[in-house]
Amino acid sequence: MKILVVEDNERVTQFISKGLREQGHVVDHAGTGRDGLFLASSEKYDVIIMDRMLPGDIDGLAIVEALRATGSKTPILILSALAEVDDRIRGLRAGGDDYLTKPFAFGELAARLDALARRSQGTETKAALEVADLRMDLLAHKVTRGGKTISLKPREFSLLEYLLRHAGQVVTRTMLLENVWEYHFDPQTNVVDVHISKLRQKIDAGFGQALLHTVRGVGYRLAAE
Amino acid sequence: MIRLLRSVSVRLALGYAAIFILSSGVLVGILWWRTANYLDREVDAVILADTQAVADRLHDFGLLGALETVRDRVDAEADEHAIYLMADPSLNPLAGNMAAWPAQIGERTGWYEIGMARAGRFHATRILSVVLPGGYRLLVGRDVQDRVVIRQTILGGLAWAIGIAVVLAIAGAMVIRRGVLGQVDAINRTTAAIVRGDLSRRLPTRDSSDEFDQLSQTINGMLAQIQVLIEGVRNASNTVAHDLRTPLTELRGRLEELLRRRPPPAEAWPEVQAAVGDLDRAISVFNALLRLAEIDSGARLSGFRDVRLDIVAGDVADLYGPVAEAKGSELVFAAPQPVVVRGDPDLLAQAIGNLVDNAVKFSPSGAKVMLELAGDTGGDAVIRVADAGPGITDSEKGQVVQRFYRGDAGRGKAGVGLGLSMVAAIARLHAGRLDFADGSPGLIAILTVPALMQRGSGRGPATAHPPPQPVASPR
Repeated sequence: MKILVVEDNERVTQFISKGLREQGHVVDHAGTGRDGLFLASSEKYDVIIMDRMLPGDIDGLAIVEALRATGSKTPILILSALAEVDDRIRGLRAGGDDYLTKPFAFGELAARLDALARRSQGTETKAALEVADLRMDLLAHKVTRGGKTISLKPREFSLLEYLLRHAGQVVTRTMLLENVWEYHFDPQTNVVDVHISKLRQKIDAGFGQALLHTVRGVGYRLAAE
Repeated sequence: MIRLLRSVSVRLALGYAAIFILSSGVLVGILWWRTANYLDREVDAVILADTQAVADRLHDFGLLGALETVRDRVDAEADEHAIYLMADPSLNPLAGNMAAWPAQIGERTGWYEIGMARAGRFHATRILSVVLPGGYRLLVGRDVQDRVVIRQTILGGLAWAIGIAVVLAIAGAMVIRRGVLGQVDAINRTTAAIVRGDLSRRLPTRDSSDEFDQLSQTINGMLAQIQVLIEGVRNASNTVAHDLRTPLTELRGRLEELLRRRPPPAEAWPEVQAAVGDLDRAISVFNALLRLAEIDSGARLSGFRDVRLDIVAGDVADLYGPVAEAKGSELVFAAPQPVVVRGDPDLLAQAIGNLVDNAVKFSPSGAKVMLELAGDTGGDAVIRVADAGPGITDSEKGQVVQRFYRGDAGRGKAGVGLGLSMVAAIARLHAGRLDFADGSPGLIAILTVPALMQRGSGRGPATAHPPPQPVASPR
């Protein structure tokens, strides 16, 4: 992927760029709002990471708004030290696609970038989702593995649906909480882990190949390998 | 003088006096006007009748008859209240009780009111001057000095009234000052003392429940809230120091040791991993504090909407059910009827979630945790979370909602000690409250939020309540 990082803090930029390059991405960097707007509107990126507060006269939100006004659909992840709900809503309303509060773990950032890029590529509605021999029929609301029907509770179904839609990608616990449960708070306990292990019991136990993998320190990944 | 005018009591007294004077002036004025009007009409009627009589005589009997009538009338008016004067066309008097035709009237005709010297005094006199057939002139008048006397009496009364009004106004001002404004002064003095830092002061209240008493009670409530907040801040700064320093100290120690020992990478990585964990703990404390501050600031009120609390609670039960199950416990959820509240669903879910999380944490393995939602008769939605844990003492019940408070039972458990203060803050934001009661055994946390309306009152078979459903059952 080709990624633009608009961030004024040197250390944070270095931390993000290094990590993303190690994952095989091409990273451009802009340290001011002016440069960021110039790069974002002149080059083609798969995803943009935008710091909200930038030095100079153009802040992150203004760039996002300017880009959206020109019809750009490039997914944008907004980084901010502001965690209040209002700020988050303002960021998303300006045209951001996701919002991540500083400080953050690199794994969280990388997982969200993957999800954003994936979302902008494939938006066609599918009737079924598949990984290996695990199959989810979205119309019949049915899940089978190797032809065997697996019965899931509604929340387990939506959890598995999210994992299937992001098959092969790492999804974090926060992403699951936000997208499956629609909660934006820290539930204190490892609730997501408990739900994942219940789901694992249903879709992996008794089958030769494990599909639902734990990615240490980051989250989970549903994949054949 | 200007300083005096700034005082509410003086302004009240002056206003009071002004209104009193104005109203008594209007009253007396109307009285005067009506009386004078009546007297004038009476006098005018008499004068007109006399004039008509003389004119008739002149017509019927000629000049002599008219003069005789005038003389008769003059003779009949011994008290000299009436004036008659008949003159020839060149204004020479022919008959009447006046020595000469008054110069101020001359040849003019019509109604006049003039002062006339009579019996050594000037009397107000109303006069009609007419020209009779043949060019003869007639003057008929009446002394209206009585009306002047009445006016003076009324004006005198008005002066008295004003004097009394001023006295009453001053007295009223003193009463207002001593009584009502005394209370304002008390409020002023107490709040000034509080501004200087004596937060324990409270306004005196009586049971009169008048406006000032209500004001005092509201202010006292506000003071109690401020005191709680300030003590919370004090407490927080101590405990923030503790809860943030601990992970930071561990982190520092770890890093310093790594620097000093310079171990081979295989040994170093787990330490670095642990260091990141320390940082994450510190960050989660920060996040919790910021979220608390956000809740306390009321910023989240803008996101309030109608929320089906039974669905929110059901989702929370759904989220934490497997957690209880993993511990070998059971979370039983019961919400017999739909309950709608005005609020922020995310915050409400967090509040219920924190209560359930605590209940699961403190319950022994295999125990039941109850999450119940009920609509109260008072129009409140009541969420009860009962655990089978050790419970807390009565003295602890007030402390658990304080920031970073950890009961004895809580030591060594995960969490930053902000969970219940978060619940209390969320309850406050929703105009509700968090209470604790003793279960048998264990603790019952009661979260009360004002409900908007409750559908399905439980009457009739259509709204028959389903029995409590276990969300998670131990295997």
